[in-house]
Amino acid sequence: MSNIIIVFFSDCGGQHRAIRNTQSVASAQLDPDVIAKRTRRHLDELERSNYSEPSALLAGEEDEDGTAGGRTGKGRARQATSDKRAAELGKKKKSTMNVRTAVLYKKSFTMLLDESGLASYPASVPTYLSAAAPPPKEPPRMLCSICGYLGKYRCKRCSMPYCDKNCEEVHDEARCERRVI
Amino acid sequence: MPSYLKHTRIVVVDNGASTIKLGVKGFNDSDSRVIPNAIVRSKGDKATYYGHEIEKCTDYSSLHYRLPFEKGYLVDWDAQKAIWDGIFTTDYLMLDPTESSLLMTEPYFNLPNLQDVYDQFVFEEYEFQSYYRCTPASLVSYGKLYREKGQPSPECVLVVDSGFSFTHVVPMINGSIMWEAVKRIDVGGKLLTNQLKELVSFRQWNMMDETYVMNDVKESCCFVSTQFTRDLDICRANPIGNPIVQEYILPDFSLNRRGHVRRPDEMMEDSYQILHMNSERFAVPEIMFRPDDIGLEQAGLAQTIAHSISLLPEDIQGMFWSNIGLIGGSTKFPNFCSRLAAELRTLAPVDSEVKIYESSDPILEAYRSAIAFASKPDFLQKVVTREEYNESGSNACRRKFPDWKPKEGEAALTKGKVSVELQDVVREDEEGAPAHPGDVVGRKTDSALG
Ligand SMILES: [Zn+2]
Ligand SMILES: [Zn+2]
Repeated sequence: MSNIIIVFFSDCGGQHRAIRNTQSVASAQLDPDVIAKRTRRHLDELERSNYSEPSALLAGEEDEDGTAGGRTGKGRARQATSDKRAAELGKKKKSTMNVRTAVLYKKSFTMLLDESGLASYPASVPTYLSAAAPPPKEPPRMLCSICGYLGKYRCKRCSMPYCDKNCEEVHDEARCERRVI
Repeated sequence: MPSYLKHTRIVVVDNGASTIKLGVKGFNDSDSRVIPNAIVRSKGDKATYYGHEIEKCTDYSSLHYRLPFEKGYLVDWDAQKAIWDGIFTTDYLMLDPTESSLLMTEPYFNLPNLQDVYDQFVFEEYEFQSYYRCTPASLVSYGKLYREKGQPSPECVLVVDSGFSFTHVVPMINGSIMWEAVKRIDVGGKLLTNQLKELVSFRQWNMMDETYVMNDVKESCCFVSTQFTRDLDICRANPIGNPIVQEYILPDFSLNRRGHVRRPDEMMEDSYQILHMNSERFAVPEIMFRPDDIGLEQAGLAQTIAHSISLLPEDIQGMFWSNIGLIGGSTKFPNFCSRLAAELRTLAPVDSEVKIYESSDPILEAYRSAIAFASKPDFLQKVVTREEYNESGSNACRRKFPDWKPKEGEAALTKGKVSVELQDVVREDEEGAPAHPGDVVGRKTDSALG
C-alpha cells in the first residue's frame, strides 16, 4: 500500500457559520441528467471486482487468467482459463458443445439480460426487471462528500454537498468536478 | 423414482457470488467447506489460486480477483468451470459425481438462458446422476431458522437474504416463494467493501487495490448504527477520542502479521500502519438502510419489506410481519437486527407483531437447510435424473424445479388464489432445536454505544 495521505480530518468539528456564496438547496440550474450520470458512474465503480486493470497489476509477469477476465463482449479467448486448469488437473473429459459454447463465449450480464427476453414477458409475470425495490419515500439526506457528516451546502459548480468551510476547501482542491451546471 | 436413487449420496452446493458452501449429506451436515468463488492472483506469491486453493496463499496484498458472478448472476462460465473442475472430482468430494445427486442453489430470478447453462454443466460436464436447483430462501423452511420448541414451522415467512451482490426480500407460503412480492435492493457486501475502500482511500491510505484487506476491515469494524445522526455527531465532536473510533492495524504479509483492531493494551510499534475507523464504521452498512445515501434510488431495507408485504393478500399480512428471518453474510453486522426491528415497528400496522429471527450462522443457514431438505425422503422425488435430462434436455428441469416463471399452462398466482391454498400444514419437528428470535435484542455492538 502506498502511503499517500491525501488529507486527514482532525478538524472536522469546525464552524457552522454561514459560508460565503452558498445555497443550501440545489438551485434550478443544476442539470439532473448530468448528476444522474455521475451517480450511475459511481454505482458502476462500486460493482467492480478490481480497481486496477490486470495489466497494471501483473506487469512483467505472465499474463494469464487476468487477461481472459478482462476480455469483454463475445471475444474469443486465446485459450480458455478452464482449459489450462483442466490440463493441470489431468482432466481428460471432452466437453459437450453446450459447455464449450458457454466457456468460450462470455457475455456480460447486460447482454444476457437482453437475450433472455424478459422485457417481452407479460406484465403479470414478475421478473428481475420488475423486482427492483421501489424508490425511497423520503428525499435523500445531504451528506458531506468529503467527511461524511451532514452537509448543509452544495457546491455551486458541481452540486456535491459539503458541511463547512474546511470541507469546502478540500472539495474545491481535490473533488470538484466543476462542470455540472 | 428409480430404485438406485435410494442409496445415492447427495452433494449440497450453495453456489454464491462470493463463496461456495459445499458438503456431502451425512458427512458435512452442520459445517460445509466454504470456498471463495474466485480465481485469485497473488502478486506477492506470484501464483494463481482457484477456489479452494486459496488456503495456500501467503500474501493477500493487492490480490486480483476474477469472479464468475457479475451483478449477482453467473456469467463467466470459463472461470466457474476452472473452479468447479477442482471440486467436482472424486478426489475432492471423496465420491464419484456420476453416481451422486446434486442440490445446487441459483440466484433469485435467475435468467432462463443461464438456468439452461447450469443444467448443461451439471449433466453434460460433471454427469451427476440426478440434480435439484432452487434459490437459497426456498430452502430455509426446511432448516432451523424459524423453529421454536414444540412449534410447527410458520406457514408464512419472509426471508431477507443479504449477500455479496444484493439484498432480497422473499416472502413464502408453505415454502413456496411469492414471486410477485419478491423485491431486490442492489446493495450487498461487494458494494459495501468497495464503498469503504473509496472512503478510506480518499481520507487516509490508498487502499483501492486491497479488496481482501478492506473486506476484513469491514467485517472487523463495521456495525449498523441505531441512531445515525447521533453517532455522526459523536464522531465529529472528537474525531480521535470518541467511543466509536477504532484503530485497525494493517497487515504486514512479509512479517506474516494479520490485520486486526488494536487491542486496548496493545503497544504500538513503529512499523504499524494504522487505519482510523471513525464514522466509516457505521456509514458503510448504513447504505443497506438508506441506499439513497450513495444516490441509489431504491428504498431501504425496512421500507422494501413493508412494500413487499403490502403486495401479499391482506388477511395474512400480519403473519409475514411476525416471521421475518435473516440470512446471508451482510446481515451479520452488529445491530443489524435491532435497527431493522426499530424501523419496521414504525412501518407495521399497530396490531401487527414484528418479530425477527436471526440465524446462528447466516452464511451457512441456506446450506444447513439444504442438508435438511436433502435428508427428507421426498427430496429424491423432486430431482431430475440424468436419463430425464438426456431425453428432454432442460425441459425436464423447467417442468420440475420451482421457479419464478409460471409453468406452461399455469397462470401467475393472483392475490385471491393464494389465501385459498393456505392450510394448516404441520411439519414434523425433528430436532426441536430452539430458533433465535431476535425481536428484542440484536447482537450487541462492540462499540461503546451498544
Ligand atoms: Zn465535511
Ligand atoms: Zn464542486
